Amino acid sequence: MKKFFLLATAILVFGAGGLVQPAAAEKLRVGSECTYFPFNYRTADGVLTGYDIDVARGIMEIIGADVTFVCQKWDGMIPALLANKFDLVIASMSITDKRKQKIDFSIPYRISVGRFVGKKDANLNLFNKDGSPNPANFKGLKLGLERATTYANWVETNVPNANVMLYDTNEALYLDLQNGRTDIIMTNPMKAFLKFLSKEKGKKFEFVSPALDDPKLFGIGVGVGIAKDREDLLKRINNALAELIKNGSLEKYSLKYFPFAIHNENWEGVGE
Amino acid sequence: MNLQIYLILESIPKMLTGLGVTLQLLFLSAVLGLSLGIFLLLMRISGRWYLSLPAFIYIYFFRGTPILVQIFVIYHGFPQFEFIRDSVFWPILREPFGCATLALTLNTGAYVSEILRGGYLGVQRELHEAGMALGLSKLHRFVYVTTPIAVRIAIPAYSNDFISLLKATSLASTITLLDMTGASRTIVAETFAPYEIFISAAIIYMVMTFFIQRGFGRFEKYMSRYVKP
Repeated sequence: MKKFFLLATAILVFGAGGLVQPAAAEKLRVGSECTYFPFNYRTADGVLTGYDIDVARGIMEIIGADVTFVCQKWDGMIPALLANKFDLVIASMSITDKRKQKIDFSIPYRISVGRFVGKKDANLNLFNKDGSPNPANFKGLKLGLERATTYANWVETNVPNANVMLYDTNEALYLDLQNGRTDIIMTNPMKAFLKFLSKEKGKKFEFVSPALDDPKLFGIGVGVGIAKDREDLLKRINNALAELIKNGSLEKYSLKYFPFAIHNENWEGVGE
Repeated sequence: MNLQIYLILESIPKMLTGLGVTLQLLFLSAVLGLSLGIFLLLMRISGRWYLSLPAFIYIYFFRGTPILVQIFVIYHGFPQFEFIRDSVFWPILREPFGCATLALTLNTGAYVSEILRGGYLGVQRELHEAGMALGLSKLHRFVYVTTPIAVRIAIPAYSNDFISLLKATSLASTITLLDMTGASRTIVAETFAPYEIFISAAIIYMVMTFFIQRGFGRFEKYMSRYVKP
């Protein structure tokens, strides 16, 4: 009886101690590429930073977990997640049906959009106030696109009568826009800003359309990847992301690198 | 590897939309290139160093550099200069078709002039002398004696260059032109079936080459009508 009492006390003491302590120090490992400017990369001093990294830290702060980053090559990212090398992928991974078969995704924290770039002050009026394209004003304009991209699909769907020129690389798009061979181009606004508009050669040009999102064409966007059996954690991450959107943190993160936000504030598919 | 035959049959009509551009490029640059080649030939055989040396340098330059590089220099390089963009040539150089035609013309012109020179040098000396003995002027000797023979000798080599030119037009697809190769590459990017699509393209090029060969064969026969029995 005495022995049983001792044992019971020991279980109680240790058990209770075990319950109190770890809750304060949940540890989550986040896989990222660490080489993808400006989303996840190291500065010259070797400090890991970028939009993805900021998002990861923001989420961890809200759910109260400690974060360790694990650098992982892109092509092994999903296998490493499935092998439990880390708990989450926060690495600019686009949400696709194919990936969804293997892993789960959070709501998007970065959206896939396309945007037109053209000469400043050209008054092209390509789009109406409500954001719908105005096909008549595309007439007579040469439109540069990358071959067989989602942007080409967008143009085919929305302005099929446009005069299109197809390019093989993103760089060639900017070259010919600059040279005047094309009047407008449609591409990824982040690329356009980093490679062209923010540079000297792009200073005579600007975005001439709103950010065009069409989940059917461009996909849903970029989300946090997580193994399939962790619905609890996924729910907490989704709530944290929703809060980061609401309190303006995501916008703050993107404004470090771009003059525009790169997430969708009106995302309605939360928890989908 | 699972070859999808229906994809080949399906893609050929789509590819033929690029056939027009390919043929335009081919014939335009062939005609212009031939004129340029004749002009260069006359410079080279003029016997005056200030004419033959520039022609020699030109030929050396265009035969010594890859045609893809020439296309890129003309298409991507020239517009970097403000004065070219302001010049009267800009309406031509602005268009990828103009750039491709120019590059192909300049390139084929260099080769053709050498082919024609080979034909010219192949004409026997005795024929010149016979012409002289008949009292023909230098111009008449060149037009009526040398040229018909030189052309006959040059035909096989020229048909070679013409066929090369046909295939060189495919490089125009790298500067946004939707010729047959450009159309094929667009279809490949959509269907992810490079094998089937490029085989179809190869078939079309081969059919075209067949007709070109036949055409030159007939021309050669016609030009040789007084030689062979």
